[in-house]
Amino acid sequence: MDVTRTVGLDRNDVIAAAKSIYSLVLLLLLWEFVAQYDMVHSYFLPPLSDVLATFYELTADGTMLEHAYLTFRRAMAGLLLACLLGIVVGVLAARNRIMGWFWDPIIEVGYPVPVIALVPVFMFWFGTGDLSKIMLVAVGCFWPVAINARNATREVDENLVWSARMMGTSDRRLLRRVVVPAAAPGIISGVQIALPIALIVTFVFEMVAGGGGLGHLEIQGVRSFESAQVYASLIAIMIVGFTLDRGLRYLRGRLLVWT
Amino acid sequence: MNRTQTHRQHPSNAESAHETMVDGHVTITELEKVYESGDERTTAIEDFSVTVPSGEFLGVVGPSGCGKSTLLYLVAGFLEQTTGTIAVDSDPIDGPGTDRGVVFQDYALFPWRTVMGNVTYGLEEKGVGKEKRQATAQRFIDMMDLDGFEDKYPKELSGGMKQRVALARTLAYDPKILLMDEPFGALDQPLRESLQDHLIDIWRELEKTVIFITHDVEEAVYLSERVLIMTRHPGTKKTTVNIELDRTQPREELVLSDEYTTTKNDVWQSLREETTPGGEH
Ligand SMILES: Nc1ncnc2c1ncn2[C@@H]1O[C@H](COP(=O)(O)OP(=O)(O)OP(=O)(O)O)[C@@H](O)[C@H]1O
Ligand SMILES: [Mg+2]
Repeated sequence: MDVTRTVGLDRNDVIAAAKSIYSLVLLLLLWEFVAQYDMVHSYFLPPLSDVLATFYELTADGTMLEHAYLTFRRAMAGLLLACLLGIVVGVLAARNRIMGWFWDPIIEVGYPVPVIALVPVFMFWFGTGDLSKIMLVAVGCFWPVAINARNATREVDENLVWSARMMGTSDRRLLRRVVVPAAAPGIISGVQIALPIALIVTFVFEMVAGGGGLGHLEIQGVRSFESAQVYASLIAIMIVGFTLDRGLRYLRGRLLVWT
Repeated sequence: MNRTQTHRQHPSNAESAHETMVDGHVTITELEKVYESGDERTTAIEDFSVTVPSGEFLGVVGPSGCGKSTLLYLVAGFLEQTTGTIAVDSDPIDGPGTDRGVVFQDYALFPWRTVMGNVTYGLEEKGVGKEKRQATAQRFIDMMDLDGFEDKYPKELSGGMKQRVALARTLAYDPKILLMDEPFGALDQPLRESLQDHLIDIWRELEKTVIFITHDVEEAVYLSERVLIMTRHPGTKKTTVNIELDRTQPREELVLSDEYTTTKNDVWQSLREETTPGGEH
């Protein structure tokens, strides 16, 4: 990755950014216009200005932050757990025959399962609390992390491993010294793929099971016919997702300056 | 060509013949390597014996696919032979070891480490302290004309620079034996020549045993004290040719000298027999 592309901005980037915002602004204006002139019932689509006012109110009285924090905490805890397990399993499955024999079929089958379908199951087993949510997030994020870690590890250039061994790196230290650093770009890609999954699972679980969080706030808006709250929650989750994605990209750039 | 040289040399005979073999000699005895993948068996090396006395610069040439890389990786300990033995200083090798250092054709630098980080790697693994490590590494970085590039990552370097880093990295942890697999194959002529001269200087100064694989006859003759010619697939030792050149003269004169031209032609002819269909063997 070219560092200048993520940090500095050149002329083309600025123009591109302006253009993308331009179309977005146009859409938002259209939204305001359509809603203001009652072309759509305000229950379905309240004017943007109402949504922003509600967003502001909820933020000012701390409600929004409280819910955003709950969602953020669950998603991050689950993602972190998935990263710990997924990276270990993925790397070992690629480097160790027995681990590969055990995990390869599980990863192949587990990866495409739509994890949202497990929300009710987890409610049965583990209830509706934080632990249940975090665990399901971890399950959902585990697969992309593990599969990317495994594939990246498999693709590590054998010559790098040989180089290290000839310079005296023992088999035990090989993973930490060479395999994981060499596979790091692929491993981090897996984490980036898992991030939106973490948010989706958290959000849906909160909608279904409550217990606070932005998903809960949104569905509450539906149940109390507060459609402005529904859209305000949506904006909040978008901000959370966007921020986390940027944060991860920044981290990637810092960790992988050498790529 | 002296065909008697193709006969197997028993280590005991060979050893008594070279009194100088103290440290870093390689003895390969009746080596055979068969690759097995599924039902397919490919014999890459067979009936291969040679002794490389300590401090020798041995060039290895052979037709493409004859098993040169396989031979080198066997000596490095990366691959396991099917039969036969490879011994360094009379001890059979068991996997890779810091007594041997490989310089790969595609450099195989650690991309996440800077030039300095790459060159210090072997010393870190040896447990050398930070200051000593840096000082030793700096010596080899300077030797390779890489000073000023210590903090660059491999992706920021040209091919020739990468190859010099690879050489510095291997030299820094001080293996007795250098194993080089077409290290300059991907470089353009002037760069290749400058690195060749560099390598000769280093070999003289550091007194390493070198096994240098190349498909370039001129390179082999220019660098080596002895050139080993391999037969075509499956590879075995065809013959070895001693190179006796007056190394005191500059390159321009040396490559025009009669000895150089004659030896080069000898090696070239011998190799040609292996590359032309219906040739000898
Ligand atoms: N991993 C492998 N599995 C099966 N066969 C192999 C393997 N590696 C090499 N071979 C075969 O062994 C023979 C020798 O290969 P090797 O790479 O050692 O040749 P080489 O002399 O280095 O060739 P080149 O000059 O093209 O680099 C070839 O016939 C090749 O097809
Ligand atoms: Mg080769």
